[in-house]
Order: sequence, then C-alpha cells, then structure tokens
Amino acid sequence: MAAFPMISNFQYDFLLQLVAVDTENTMDEVAAAAAYHSVGRRVAPQPGKVVRVRRQGDTEFFPRHAKLGETGIKPMETVEFIFTEA
Amino acid sequence: MALLERNEWYDIARNTNWTPTHVTEAELFPDVMTGAKGVPVEKWEVYDEPYKTSYPEYVRIQREKDAGAYSVKAALERSRMFEDADPGWVSILKAHYGAIALGEYAAMSAEARMARFGRAPGMRNMATFGMLDENRHAQLQLYFPHEHCSKDRQFDWAHKAYHSNEWGAIAARHTFDDLFMARSATDIAVMLTFAFETGFTNMQFLGLAADAAEAGDFTFASLISSIQTDESRHAQIGGPALQVMIANGRKEEAQKLVDVGIARAWRLFSLLTGTSMDYATPLEHRKQSFKEFMLEWIVGQFERTLIDLGLDLPWYWNQMIAEFDYQHHAYQMGIWFWRPTLWWNPAAGMTPDCRDWLEEKYPGWNDSFGKVWDVIIDNLLAGRHELTLPETLPMICNMSQLPICAVPGNGWNVKDYPLDYQGRTYHFNSEIDRWVFQQDPARYRDHMSLVDRFLAGQIQPPNLMGALQYMNLAPGEIGDDAHKYAWAEAYRNNPYQKKAA
Ligand SMILES: [Fe+2]
Ligand SMILES: [Fe+2]
Repeated sequence: MAAFPMISNFQYDFLLQLVAVDTENTMDEVAAAAAYHSVGRRVAPQPGKVVRVRRQGDTEFFPRHAKLGETGIKPMETVEFIFTEA
Repeated sequence: MALLERNEWYDIARNTNWTPTHVTEAELFPDVMTGAKGVPVEKWEVYDEPYKTSYPEYVRIQREKDAGAYSVKAALERSRMFEDADPGWVSILKAHYGAIALGEYAAMSAEARMARFGRAPGMRNMATFGMLDENRHAQLQLYFPHEHCSKDRQFDWAHKAYHSNEWGAIAARHTFDDLFMARSATDIAVMLTFAFETGFTNMQFLGLAADAAEAGDFTFASLISSIQTDESRHAQIGGPALQVMIANGRKEEAQKLVDVGIARAWRLFSLLTGTSMDYATPLEHRKQSFKEFMLEWIVGQFERTLIDLGLDLPWYWNQMIAEFDYQHHAYQMGIWFWRPTLWWNPAAGMTPDCRDWLEEKYPGWNDSFGKVWDVIIDNLLAGRHELTLPETLPMICNMSQLPICAVPGNGWNVKDYPLDYQGRTYHFNSEIDRWVFQQDPARYRDHMSLVDRFLAGQIQPPNLMGALQYMNLAPGEIGDDAHKYAWAEAYRNNPYQKKAA
C-alpha cells in the first residue's frame, strides 16, 4: 500500500490531469480513478466499452488485473486510458 | 536666444560613452549585465535608434497624453459602462488588468537595466524614456480599475494578482522573469522590446483597443491607445541591437534569444488574447478570429520584420502556426472548467451562434472541442453542476506553467513531452516548450510548478479548497461563469445541430 500520483491522459479529453491511485490498485481500478475526472465531465461515457491502460506511446495494454506496483509504471508517469471493446 | 534644432545637437548630446579612470570598463559594464556578447563598445556605438526624442519634447507630449487619459477617467466615474457592458467584456478587463498592470512595473525595471547597462548610448537614451513609459502604464492600469473595486472586488486583482500564487499569475511571472527581469540589457532589448513588444503587445493593444471601441467601452479604448503610442516608440529599441549583433557575427546568439522570446510570448498571448477574442468578446463585436489575427500580424507582418533584419524564422514556426488552430481553444476549456481558480468570471462563449461561428472559422471545431462542450451542456441542463467543476489539478507545463492540453474529441492529440534532467522528470506542453528548457536547463530546473508544489505538500489541505487558499483567492473573488449559465438554456430540448456546410 503506497499512495501513487500519476498523470492521466484520457482518450478524447483535452488535457493531462493529476490522479491519485495506490500501488495495490489493479489496472481496472486505476482506469476507474482516471475516468472519475474525465468521463461524464468532459468525455461522453461509452457504455459497453472497457477502458484499458498503457504507457504513453505503447500499443500494448497492461493486463486488466495487473497491480500497479507490478507494472513498472513510475510515479508521475503519463499513462494513456483508451476505450476498447470489452 | 535662438535654439538649435534637435538634429543639430542630438547625436553629440546623447553620446555619453567615456573612458573610465577610477574603475575598469569591465567593472563599469560587466558582461553579465550588458550581455554585449563580446562585441566591443566601439561596434555598439553605431547603434542608431530609429525614433529620436529629447527630454523636453518627451515631457510635453506625455503631459498631453496623460491629460487626455485622466479626463477620460473622470468621465468613467460618471458612466454606466460597468453596469451596461456585456459581462464577457467586463471579464476581459479584469483578466487584462491583473495580468498586465504589475507586469508594466516589471518592464520598468527591465528598461532601467537597459538605461544603465545598454552598451550603446542610443539604447540607454531610448530606454530612459521607456522606463518612464512603463511606470506610466502601470499607474494608469492600476488607477482605472480602482474605480470599480468598490462594486466588484475581482477588480482588486489588478494589483493583487502578481502578489499571489494564482496559477495564471505564476505563469505570467515565470514568463516575464525569463524574458526581462532576469536578463542582461542586450537580451532585454531583443526579448522584451523586439520579440514581446513588436511581435505581440503591439497586437494585444491594437486588437484590444479596436474591440473596446466596438464594445462601446471608450474609456478602455482610449487608455489602451494612449499606452500603445508609448509602446510603438520604445519597442524599437531591439531592432538596432539585433543589427549590431548580426553585423558582428553574433547571429546565432541573437536568433536563439528571438526564438525563446517568441515561444514564451506566444503561450501567454494565446491564453489571454486568444480566449478573449474568440470567446469572451460578444459575438456581434468580433471582427476577426484569433487565427485570422495571428496570420495577419504574426505571419504577415512580423515574419517580414524577422527576414528583413537578416534573421531566420524560428525552427518551430510551422508548429506554432499549426497551434493557431487549437491551443487557445484548449486554454479556453481549461479556464472555464477550472473557473474557481480565476480572478475573473470567464465567458463560455458557447451559444449556438457562437458554435456556428467557431465551426466557420475553425472547421472541425464541433467534432473536437464541441464534443467536450456537449458533455458540459448536458450536465448544466440536467442540474449536475458538480460535474462541470474539477476535483483534481491539471498537469502543468514546466515551461509555460499552463495546463498541458491540446485537441479533444475526434482528432484527440493530447500528449506529454517529458524530459529527464538530473534525476527529475519535467513535463512539457510541446516540443517547443521542451526545447526552450533545453537551451538553458540551469536557468529553469529549480522552479516548481503548481503541481510540483502540490506533490511536495506545500498546498494544504490537499484539495480544491486548499488550492484556492494557496492561490490567495478569497470568497467573493473566485471565478464563475460570466453569464451565470444563461447561455446553456438555448440547448434545452434543442440539442446543437451543426449547420450544413
Ligand atoms: Fe508598457
Ligand atoms: Fe513596453
């Protein structure tokens, strides 16, 4: 358990935002924390889609149940959140 | 007694170079203060200021200008401008005064540095008048808004902004410290008077004066025009300095100063003027879009000035022109969404007619920025006001100190431009901002952005309330929608339909 600040680059939003998560969070939980500050505020919800997490510039997503602490993502790294088919 | 004509005595009277005997030349004019770049003093003596004036002439003309400005101020006290103007216009005034008034005092210090350490006598002479000009600008732009303080305390930010940690104030200080407070006399001549004033403030003030007259605010129009007459004189200090540098093999150094100067001015300008022109100015008073304005003045005119001096266009010129299509739209969204963190009430500029206009001026606007406003409008109409407000901080660029932002919706292109330097990761809005940092990392590395300060625990409690306190925003000062959201009603039961092309 350790508080973990990261930078959210949420698909279709207009800016990068600071998001507080935890090393124990799964990628789905991290995505939900990022979505809280974008989806429904400035990004329209996309029912049925899943938000996946990847490093900026990567094409591969992290597994949905991977824990943040295991991914190698560094604090204050910019991470992309992308809508995908479930 | 007959008086000589000015041109018969000017050159000899203003040639104030001499040979020091009590101290060395290097002690009297240290390189760190002059920024002479190794160009010897006799080479600087050919500096020829295009605008020549004498102290008696200066005082006589300034006295007339001040008499004009202060009589308009007396009329302001009786006018109902404040009550009758569109709230969007009042917001432009508040943003302008807060961002500019004390910056004029800073510019006075910069002019003073040129007046003392300029290597050319002509530069020192012009800068002496420039220093007096900037003092006048600060005082006028504090005195005029003071009239409104008793009715609306946001006007108090004309004086307060620079003394606060409000994010826009941090951005303005960082930019102005870089361009002219922490620079040598020669660098100031290039970065402040040439890049910033010739390139940008000329337009900011000309454009604003025209908008003010359109909006019926003749007080502000005449204030701004009065200031502009000084600017167009002392903005000419930089040109001859660039000529001396280029003639003496210092083009590379000169080019870098110009490129950094324009890059930094452009960010602040797109935030202030871009959002004012395309959003806060009521639609019926808009003559040109911000992009059209930039293409006419920066690409059409300033570009010519650069080439004529023998400089190249900055390497990022095409990238900057590409940003005319989106950067200020993104800043507008940022200031509106984070509106409690402003000292003015931002106008959304988002009626259906406004959107038609934006689509016409910026084809594709509705499919990119419009998508975000659709979500905001839905929330306003459904009474979900809390979702139209932020609950976290935007990521801030370590150069501009503004949010890192770009195009949303279709055409989404938001990206971080990070840089690892001496164990710290910096984040930038673009290649351009990152390049500026790389030109002189030691200059910029220790500055902490608002987000860096938040993460270091300097903002307590660590939430929006703590952030507002940190930014010195008191209740009654924090920003809200300029038109109290009335514009959103146009969409009730009537979603926006893009006009057929
Ligand atoms: Fe000025
Ligand atoms: Fe000036």
